[in-house]
Amino acid sequence: MDKNDHAAIQAVLAGDKEAYGALVVRHSHTLFRVAYRITGNEADAEDVVQEAFLRGYRKLEGFESRANFGTWIYRIAVHCALDWVKRRRGDEAKLASQIGESNDPELDQLQVADAMAGPERLLLSGEIGSMQQAALLSLTATERTAFVLRHMEDCTTAEIGAALGIEPNAAKQAVFRAVQKLRRRLAPLRVAT
Amino acid sequence: MKHVTDEEMIGQVYGEGENTAAVARHLADCRECAENFAELQRDLAALNRAETPARDARYGERVWASIAPLLPVYRMEKRRWWSNGLVKGLGYAAACALLVSCAFYAGRVWEQKQLQQQPVAQVQPKVPQIKQPIVVVVLDDHLDRSERFLVELKHADLDSAAMDSPMRDEARSLLASNRVCRRNAAEARDPELTTALDHLDRLLAEAANEPDGLNAQTIARLQDEMNADGVLFEVRVLRSRIARHEGPGNNPAKGGTI
Repeated sequence: MDKNDHAAIQAVLAGDKEAYGALVVRHSHTLFRVAYRITGNEADAEDVVQEAFLRGYRKLEGFESRANFGTWIYRIAVHCALDWVKRRRGDEAKLASQIGESNDPELDQLQVADAMAGPERLLLSGEIGSMQQAALLSLTATERTAFVLRHMEDCTTAEIGAALGIEPNAAKQAVFRAVQKLRRRLAPLRVAT
Repeated sequence: MKHVTDEEMIGQVYGEGENTAAVARHLADCRECAENFAELQRDLAALNRAETPARDARYGERVWASIAPLLPVYRMEKRRWWSNGLVKGLGYAAACALLVSCAFYAGRVWEQKQLQQQPVAQVQPKVPQIKQPIVVVVLDDHLDRSERFLVELKHADLDSAAMDSPMRDEARSLLASNRVCRRNAAEARDPELTTALDHLDRLLAEAANEPDGLNAQTIARLQDEMNADGVLFEVRVLRSRIARHEGPGNNPAKGGTI
C-alpha cells in the first residue's frame, strides 16, 4: 500500500479530515475515468466520483490497512457507477411506461437503434463514438460494467468478479454477452466502414 | 478440430481462454475462423476509440471542495481509547481479576459464616455421639450386672432364704436400668437387643415384684424361664458384641464416662 495513502488514512481516522483531501486529489482522475466509461456521461461520472469518495470516507474505519486504498476506492467507484446506471435505467423505464412506451429491454434496444441515424449519416456526421456509446448503453448495467472493466480497464476476470461481487465465471459470461451484443449493435457501422 | 466458438475467440482476445494454444493453432490453420477472429479484433479495437473526456489538474481539488463540507470529522481519539487492542485486553484482564477477587471474597465470607455456625452445628450431631457412649456404658454396665444377677439366680440355693432381699433389690435396680436400655434399643432399632432386653425385663419384673418374695419355688420357676428363654446366653452374646463394637482401645464401659 502507498505509504502516503496509509499516512493520510491514519490522519483522517485520528480526526484530521483535511487529510482525506490528499487522497481525493490523488485518485479522482482514475475514478472519473472508470465512472465515465461505465456511465457514459460526464456529469454522471462526476457525481459517481463524489459519491464514491463520500462512501469511502464513511467506510474508512473498516478499511484494512494491508489493502491498497487505490484498489479499494476504485471498487467503490465501480459499485457506485453500477448503481447509478441501474438507477438511471429504472428512471428511464418508469418514464417510458408513463408515456405509454414499452419498457421491454429488447424493444428498448431496437428503439435506440431506430432512433439513431443510419451508418452513412453517422459516418458523415462523425458520430461513430456516439453510436458506440449508444451500443454500450444498450447493455445491462452488469454487462456494461464487466465489459468496461475487461476491455478498457484491463481488469482480469477475477478482479471484475471481485469488483461486482459476483463469481469470476459469471463475470466472464457477462463480458461474453456484452461483446456479442456490442458486435450485433455495431454491425451496421462495420459495413459502413 | 471444430471451429472456434465466439466464447473461445473472446477468451483468446483477452488472453483468458481455457485452451489458448489449441485455439491459436486452429486459427492458424482455419481460414474461416481466422477471418472471424480478425473481425472480432477489429470490432473490439473500434471500441477503444471512445476517449474519456480529460479533466484538468485541479479536478481533484474541485471534487474535494464539493464533498468536504459533507464529511464529519472522525472522533477516533476517544473511540480508539476504547477500541484499542491493548486497552481492550487490559479491560478483559481487569474484569477477570475482579471476577476472581469477588469469588475469593465471597468464598472467604462464606467460610467465615460456616465457622461461626460450626459450634452450633457441631453440638447437634455430637448429641447422639455423647448419648451413645452413655447408653453404651449403661448398657454394658447393665448387661454386666444382669449377667452376674442371672448367674447368681441360676446357681441360687433353693433352700436358703438369705438371698431373697439382696436379689430382689438388685432385680429392681436392674429393672429400672433395663427399661432405659430397652427404650434406647427400641429407638436405635436394634431388634436383637430389644428382644433380649424384653426377655430380661420379664424375668427381672417377676423377680422384683414377686409378692411372696424369692422363695425356692419362685427361684425354680425363674430358673426355668431363664433357661427356656436363654436369657443368660443372650446377655452374654450382647456383651461380647458390645465389647467387639467398642474395640480394645476404646472401651467406654471401663472409662467411667458416667
